[in-house]
Amino acid sequence: MSKKIISVYNLTKTFVSKAEELTVLRGTSFNIYRGDIICLLGISGSGKTTILNLIAGLDAPSSGRVLYSDANISEWTLDKLYDFRLHEIGFIFQEFYLLEHLTALENVMVPMILAEKTENEAQERALDLLTQVGLRRKAMNHPEELSSGERQRICIARAIANYPSILIADEPTGTLDSKMGDEIMNLLLGIAQKRQMTVIYTTHDPYVTKLAKRIFLVQNGLVVENGQSSSDNIEFDETSFKYKFKGGKK
Amino acid sequence: MMEQDDFVSSDTEGSFYSRAFHGFLFNLRLIWKNIRNKKRSTVIIIIGLVFSMSILFTSSIWMNTSQKIIADDYIETLDYEMFISTFLINAMDEVYEFVFYDPLVKQADWIFPTVALFNYEDKDPSYTWFPEENQENMTNPLSLSSAFVVSSRSIDRIKLNLEIEGNATLNSGEILVSYTQAKQLEKVYNETISPGYVLNVAITRRIPNTDEGEHTMQYYDIEETTYENYTISGIYNYIGHNSIIDRLVGGGSEGAGGIILDSILFPAEDMTRVDLFIMDSNGLLPRLLIKTNAQLLREGGITQMPDNLLALKERIEINFFHSFCYIISQEIQTMADEYRRSFSATSLFLPTIASAIFLTVLSTQITIKRRREEIAFLRSKGASSGQIIGLFFGEFILISSVSLVLSIGCGILISALVPSFGHDGFFSTSLFLRYFQYLEISPYEIEIFAVLVLGIYLGVTLINVISYVRKDIQESFLITRKGQQIVGLSMKLAAFALTIAGFVFLYLDYLAIAKQSYTFGFNLISASSKTLYVFIGVIFFGCYFASIGLNYILKNIEGVYKRMFKKRSFFIFRNIKRSRKSLTDLTFFLMLMVCLLSSFIMIRSTTINNAKLEDAYRNGADIRIQSILPVNISEYEGIINGIPGVEKTLGFYSIIASIGYQSVEVFGIDTTDYSNIGQWIDESFPEVKANDALADLGVDQTGIILSTYVSERLGFSVGRTMFVTDFRGGPFYVRFNVSAVIDSAPGLGVAHGYDPKMNRITNEWVLVNKEMFTGLGVENGTLFLADVSDGADVEAIVEQIKTLNPLFIVNPERINPDYIGYFITGYIPPVTVILLIGAIFIDIIAIVYVVISTEFTLEQRRSEYAVLMALGGKQSNIRRQLIYEISLFILVTILIGIPLGILTTLMGISFLKPLLMTQEVVVMVLHIDVVSLLIMVATLIIAALLGIISPIRKQMKYEIVHELRATV
Repeated sequence: MSKKIISVYNLTKTFVSKAEELTVLRGTSFNIYRGDIICLLGISGSGKTTILNLIAGLDAPSSGRVLYSDANISEWTLDKLYDFRLHEIGFIFQEFYLLEHLTALENVMVPMILAEKTENEAQERALDLLTQVGLRRKAMNHPEELSSGERQRICIARAIANYPSILIADEPTGTLDSKMGDEIMNLLLGIAQKRQMTVIYTTHDPYVTKLAKRIFLVQNGLVVENGQSSSDNIEFDETSFKYKFKGGKK
Repeated sequence: MMEQDDFVSSDTEGSFYSRAFHGFLFNLRLIWKNIRNKKRSTVIIIIGLVFSMSILFTSSIWMNTSQKIIADDYIETLDYEMFISTFLINAMDEVYEFVFYDPLVKQADWIFPTVALFNYEDKDPSYTWFPEENQENMTNPLSLSSAFVVSSRSIDRIKLNLEIEGNATLNSGEILVSYTQAKQLEKVYNETISPGYVLNVAITRRIPNTDEGEHTMQYYDIEETTYENYTISGIYNYIGHNSIIDRLVGGGSEGAGGIILDSILFPAEDMTRVDLFIMDSNGLLPRLLIKTNAQLLREGGITQMPDNLLALKERIEINFFHSFCYIISQEIQTMADEYRRSFSATSLFLPTIASAIFLTVLSTQITIKRRREEIAFLRSKGASSGQIIGLFFGEFILISSVSLVLSIGCGILISALVPSFGHDGFFSTSLFLRYFQYLEISPYEIEIFAVLVLGIYLGVTLINVISYVRKDIQESFLITRKGQQIVGLSMKLAAFALTIAGFVFLYLDYLAIAKQSYTFGFNLISASSKTLYVFIGVIFFGCYFASIGLNYILKNIEGVYKRMFKKRSFFIFRNIKRSRKSLTDLTFFLMLMVCLLSSFIMIRSTTINNAKLEDAYRNGADIRIQSILPVNISEYEGIINGIPGVEKTLGFYSIIASIGYQSVEVFGIDTTDYSNIGQWIDESFPEVKANDALADLGVDQTGIILSTYVSERLGFSVGRTMFVTDFRGGPFYVRFNVSAVIDSAPGLGVAHGYDPKMNRITNEWVLVNKEMFTGLGVENGTLFLADVSDGADVEAIVEQIKTLNPLFIVNPERINPDYIGYFITGYIPPVTVILLIGAIFIDIIAIVYVVISTEFTLEQRRSEYAVLMALGGKQSNIRRQLIYEISLFILVTILIGIPLGILTTLMGISFLKPLLMTQEVVVMVLHIDVVSLLIMVATLIIAALLGIISPIRKQMKYEIVHELRATV
């Protein structure tokens, strides 16, 4: 058994607004091991992105704990959280979040510059990463001049720029067609495996779960896993409007 | 954000009027909610509008109101504005009757110049009194004095020129005696003469003609005009300058006879009409002193006063051919000029108003940019362009209405408050209330200013809203973004070229008028103001194009950033280089503000410095001694030289003469002493050095130094022979050789032209060798300059000189304390104060702009910071990087703005002189008050940086996840 890298215990998250309180996670627990490729499957609004944000330290849980190598990240100082995100987490956002005034190359350089690498060093590595994602020739283009697939590739390059141990991808194929989605997932997981990264990604498309080693269903504010890793074992229940493992309870 | 759910009205039933009414109410409610939800930006816009409009309204209300108060108060300080004389015996009664009915005349008082005799009681008609210093009985001599028989009412006006020990009354049985005459009486009576002293006085009904041997008492005709037991109500000294009494009988100004200083005032009511008739018949012709009605005199405005007075003079002289009216026109004209100068100088505040309007425009633009989402939402809900524009227009109407009401209130209040602090720097309730009694508001001017400011605001609002609402219109006009930039730049360049052309035209016009003017009069003040208006446009455009150049440079110096900011240069450089969400927008306005700020400070310091230099130059030397009455020059030179610490004293022999039709004051000087004692400047002589010119005059006893004006006007070039004629009490003419031409001299001021700060009665003076002067038998003068040795106690020497003669004025704080400019500053702040207030306001506007603009840019970039933090960027690093970036813009704009300010100042002072000073005696050169400039700039930097800390912290406080969601 690989070593635990992320442990989630009894995690809850409630969003409070003027109008209402919305509880998204209701005391869920799970473990993630080094080298895992985890897919969080759930319908929109089920709490997938919230889980990713909590794991990445972008958001704080209402209760419960997220442990990274047995350390509770909720207890970390802001600076330590920044360092954690900078060096241990590579985040691929659903909406890309590329900086529009920077070129593709510069966008990939950003995490390295934040990690205080020299510009030359960062540029050299960014070009290498862009070559890996097949975008070297578009290094000087701005995001607005690139297609969605190309932007996602830049996001992948940016996410792995500091060689993180965990790669988190929020709906990486959400804005892509199936062919492009396949390409991106293959690229993402290929790079991750090559660098022995742990991958956690979300999707609402059961088809995209096929590349995962473990599949977590996110429903009713809880994460459910039954040890199955094939998308063939997952079905969508039209009446409850939820995914479920075949043979499992509704 | 607008109350979104409220937008779609469900009121579809009812009559047209009902629907229209409900629609109106609905929209009004929406507008009100919008304004309420955007308190901060609404407040900033309202402040900007109120500031701009209220300053403009203040200037209008102030001008209309203050000129009435200034005119009334100034006229009140004058004893009279006119005296009338006639050469016909017993003709003045008719004149009196005429002026009595003239509406412009408020008061007409008689004045009979005659002679008073004291200690006459035991002298019989055959007593020989002439010469007075060697009369028949010098052990018990008769004392003679000039006397003015005046009505007791007139003393209330005449006393404005007098410093009186005792009472300033002239009731029956009382006389007022001059200090000089009191001293003479002390010698005659061998008693101390003080107020309350009782004596006998005889008023003569005739003045003997000594040329025809009338040397005895009988020729005075005092048999029926002796008055016993009269009380000296007061002993006076003459302190007036700009007064009719001074002009009529000779007061204290240089070269005047000073008769009133050795005289008495006697109540006319104590003499019979027969006595007065006889005096008139004997050639002691009375004069009429005329006090005008100030309210009528200023009808048509303050600048109309000299002409209104002239009209009265013409009316009298045309009706009475034998009459002559002297009007105090020079002083009133000076008042009108000084008023115009003072008021025109307030236009130096215009750049501040323009900046405030600009700030309002920028705030409006930012507010509308912030509301793009709102416009998009309204569009998505099906609102038509007209409806959206209508909503913004409604907001404009509400904000404008509130601003307009507040501006009028503030305008009235400020225009009343400023003069209320004017006189002594402390608030005066009576002045404040008095202002409201005079209050005059011109609806026309209020309308013009309101339309101007609100029009700009409306234009900016509508253009911005339309450009967002109707992208189709925008796009149909502009094919590409680049095309849009090219069109915009071309229009700005064309406007700049037109502004430059206008400026050059007005500047040349100013220079042409200046070349023909020897004083800073109405035409030059007007030309200067006009040039200033266009120059403000030149500064705005100049800074705009300079900022484009600066931004270009800033975007292309990555290497510099790498050296300056090391690893942070990556983000700083790329933020500067970006076209949107960049702080490069700061450069134009901030550079403009720094340019204006430094210009204001430098023009102010240049003006203050120049005024100091000029005052020192007018003073002339370490010590200036001005005698109220002419004294013997060589005698006092010796006495003053004997005072320890005094190195050398130079006396100015003086006499009035004529060159052509021009009355001139001729000064005789020791050229070597003047060269050494006088604090000369390079510009004193236009063509030669002062030492050389004076040395030339020293070796040529027939030499004369003329003003450039006379030399050019009459063609008296250097080396030519010319005549000075009509020496008062001296020869009819004397021939001179022109040895040099001069513009000004230390102690004397400008050689040609009226210098209101100098209080000279002629507008022209010339210098001649004293050897030649003493040859004419002139031994007296009223001016001395003295040099003191190094380390000597000047104050002690000054005090010692004052004791030599009570009529000496030594190192006066103001050579002419009656200079109208000092009076006007009690009502209109001097230009230096205006510039200081302007600078402070510009500092505030710049700080507000930096904060608003930076906050807006940071707000736009908020999601980027969330992304950076999500990727592991540290808050502290991002904050620091932002502060570096903003500081860079502030520092660079300051570094460029200050030299631009120096250029602006250099250009500005070349044509602003008529607004800054009465006359250019010492050539105005740039003087930088480094301390004030540093304080202002440091305030700007510190306050701006402190101001942006809060927005920066605010941007960092948002939760990353929340911001990332908002970006979606």
